[in-house]
Amino acid sequence: MTLASDHDTAPQVGDLAPKNSLPSGETLIRGLIWAVVLFLCLTPFLLVFAISFGHKVEGASWVWGFSLDNYKRVFVGAEWPDNVTFLYLQKLWYSLYYAVIAAILAVITAFPFTYFMTGLSRRAQAAWLVFILSSLSLSEVFIVMGWDVLLSNRSGLPMLFKVSGATQWLKDVGWFDTLRDWGLANPRNVKFKTSVFATVLTMAYLVWPYAVILLYPPLSRLDRSTVEAAQTMGAGPWTVMRTVILPSVRLPLVGSMLLLFVFLLGVYVAVTVFAEPAKQTMAVSVYEAVRGNTLNAPFGSAQAMILLVTAAVFLGLGQWLSRRNA
Amino acid sequence: MMARTLKTLFMALSALMLALPIMVVSGAALNSGRTMFFPPREPTLARFKEFFITETVWVTALTNSMIVAFASAALAVLIAWPLAYALWSRGTKASQVLAGLGSMPFALPPIVFGVGLGFLWAFLGVLGSLWAGVVSHAALFLALPLVTISIGLQSIDRAHLDAAATMGATPAVTFRTVILPQTIPYTLSGFFFALVLSFNEFIVMFFVSASSYSTVTLQIFNSLRNGYTPTMAVAAITFIVVSLAVFGAIARFGDLPRLMGAEPAKK
Amino acid sequence: MKGLVLDNIHKSFGSVRAVEKTRLDFAEGELTALLGPSGCGKTTLLRMIAGLEEPSGGALILGGRDITALPAHKRRFGMVFQSFALFPHLTVLENVVYSLMISGTNKAEALEKGEKLLDLVQLAGYGDRRITALSGGQRQRVAIARALAQEPDVFLLDEPMSALDAKLREDMQVELRLLQQRLGITTIVVTHDQREAMTMADKIVVMSQGRVEQVGAPHDIYHKPANAFVADFIGRANFFDAVVEKGNLRLGDTLIETDVPAQFINGSPVRVAIRPEGPALDTPDMKGTRIPAKITFLRDLGPVRDIHLDTAIGPMIVEYATGETDRAFAVGSATDVTLPPGALHIFPRENTAPSEAA
Repeated sequence: MTLASDHDTAPQVGDLAPKNSLPSGETLIRGLIWAVVLFLCLTPFLLVFAISFGHKVEGASWVWGFSLDNYKRVFVGAEWPDNVTFLYLQKLWYSLYYAVIAAILAVITAFPFTYFMTGLSRRAQAAWLVFILSSLSLSEVFIVMGWDVLLSNRSGLPMLFKVSGATQWLKDVGWFDTLRDWGLANPRNVKFKTSVFATVLTMAYLVWPYAVILLYPPLSRLDRSTVEAAQTMGAGPWTVMRTVILPSVRLPLVGSMLLLFVFLLGVYVAVTVFAEPAKQTMAVSVYEAVRGNTLNAPFGSAQAMILLVTAAVFLGLGQWLSRRNA
Repeated sequence: MMARTLKTLFMALSALMLALPIMVVSGAALNSGRTMFFPPREPTLARFKEFFITETVWVTALTNSMIVAFASAALAVLIAWPLAYALWSRGTKASQVLAGLGSMPFALPPIVFGVGLGFLWAFLGVLGSLWAGVVSHAALFLALPLVTISIGLQSIDRAHLDAAATMGATPAVTFRTVILPQTIPYTLSGFFFALVLSFNEFIVMFFVSASSYSTVTLQIFNSLRNGYTPTMAVAAITFIVVSLAVFGAIARFGDLPRLMGAEPAKK
Repeated sequence: MKGLVLDNIHKSFGSVRAVEKTRLDFAEGELTALLGPSGCGKTTLLRMIAGLEEPSGGALILGGRDITALPAHKRRFGMVFQSFALFPHLTVLENVVYSLMISGTNKAEALEKGEKLLDLVQLAGYGDRRITALSGGQRQRVAIARALAQEPDVFLLDEPMSALDAKLREDMQVELRLLQQRLGITTIVVTHDQREAMTMADKIVVMSQGRVEQVGAPHDIYHKPANAFVADFIGRANFFDAVVEKGNLRLGDTLIETDVPAQFINGSPVRVAIRPEGPALDTPDMKGTRIPAKITFLRDLGPVRDIHLDTAIGPMIVEYATGETDRAFAVGSATDVTLPPGALHIFPRENTAPSEAA
């Protein structure tokens, strides 16, 4: 009661703002901040939006315009209605496909890790967090480089398979052919580059530290006495997980998956290196159009918009979910 | 007992998995030849000398990376402070919208933001200038100091502000003597988060640099097609060491679990 | 130093009336306690006095001057907060001299004064410590010294003892009162603890639901409660509802003889309170109404003994000081209880259910 009433009576800090200060000065500062934020954080997106309606002219240049041709090309191909191709939709499909699998993979493996980590002492948690954050901030280019070395055919794992005799063993038991069917082996040895496996693995690896950081707040705030209460009522570890822990963090789990998914939509380096040319994503296509070989900025912008809208839809979905269940 | 062992095993395996590619790259940095091998052949430290001192390409790239990282982190903190302060002190719809806008570049796919910034700087005729890169990263990582400073402001006991007022402190004095000193650790954390992420960022920098200068990550990417060299691995080591040092310092001087969203430590 | 007057001060948060129109005088050099249950508006009242909350109407007059529009930092009433609100980034001495430093006092002078204040609250030599290195009691002393450094006209304390453990609390109440008397400073303490209020205050203001229920000296508040709420909130009381019948009280079959004040006309419903130390058991020669009772429970608290009774007019608790009676009571045994007329407090009763005090 005391707490509640004291909260009711707590003043807004705004009340403490100087009442006799010059309003013009304050308004000026506020206007300036709005201008800076709008300019830096919104105009880039607006420009992409505006340019997506323009069209390419000879050379590498483009002009303003208002046509939906670029979007048409993404959805049904440039020659529609005479000829329909779903080339770019297919790229979008791969964007979603890789991102979904990698996001789920990352969250599923990061969840038990984070749960165990939050059970440690605060000092130990801080040490783990340093490690996780360092890995999180490590540039995509370095991570791709590391996995590339590990997965490339001349060194790393394939080499290890061969030298250790695992390749021979796989051939002996007949699983080698299965791997070949999956595209994970050439006639001589296992191969991981290029493959969906390597792409998804690297992408999941890329967001794994993010998954830990996202799951950390809800799991560290989880009331451990509820776990103990369930145990005193006869719940084993699995029952506790199923009936107490998972239901109470269901929402953060889904929310984290959505955020990681959105993040993964924009991954570029990992896909260019590990995905087969026919299975590249929309992010790569945007890159190609804006800065790469095709140099068609409006078309790249249209694809970027589609990527953006997809991301926004899923972010909004996450917001809606958390608000509905709040 | 069994469960404990399993737990430890799982965490150790996760750590190993996480460290594996980094270890491989780090190991490769010791190669004496021009090609990357793992395990390294004829270990030597000559590649470190190349990266930091003799090879101009790398030295310039590293300098650029550092300039962009420090300047953009400082700029991000400068912009984030008024946003976080307005959000905390007023909490109006407008300040929420403003904070939301400020976090947008970080939340949406960076490739789209990069493309947009590329257009923006091209229009203004400054595409490819280093300071455009600085401003771009400041916008991209604005969300980080915004979050840490907000956490810092929220951790101030509002009774402290009342106490200062009853002792004759005007709002300006309260800000200087109570709010600012208590949020310095959080401001610094935000600065370093932005710094480290800017240091490692690739795709936005790719679009706004327009190949007129290069940072370390850009240089690495450009070299990807020509195959790896041990010097690139040195860069990777440098970066991971910087990250460990920075986050280690944040953990040492600040409350890292709290910054990451745990309950405040019990005194 | 000057007296403080609240002239019809009131405060609403939206449609919620936190403090009803209140008129109060705080005499110079006196210690007044604002006493009431949680949410009664006492803290809001204190915050309005400090200038931390803007009154919805009314005026504050300090020594004849209207200070209603003055912001907190211009009033500079020293205040001790419930959590003490000591600045963790400053040392003990820096906290104490905070008000002096920001008002531009010469540094050497300020530090000297700070040391004196620390001496006053018996913390000499603690100046360089960090706040986190202090115990709860020490923190409170720092908070007091800090609030006094600016030599305020009015000294305000918001639940100053709530962060201390029970034993320390009693010691600090006496110590604070002695300090206040030595300095002769006008002081207002908010508390929900009647023992605290009784220990320290010259005058107690009992509040409930944003209203002042009674203002008076501790003795009067206890022995002459102004209404049923005060009787219930201060100390303990047995309550029963009755109807006035020719100057006496009628409760079912029982007629209780007493002198009902003239304001209650025949047949008016009343609520009657009697303190546990009022009634007596098995005293045939005592003046008053005797009612048969049965002992249901005994509670030996050391200095006093509580005897729980079931009587014709309802359950009742009678308190005896140890040694006051050597009779051995037994649960289940029959007895009779005498209600002396002077021990009965009679209050008007609305037709609605009597307000249950928290």
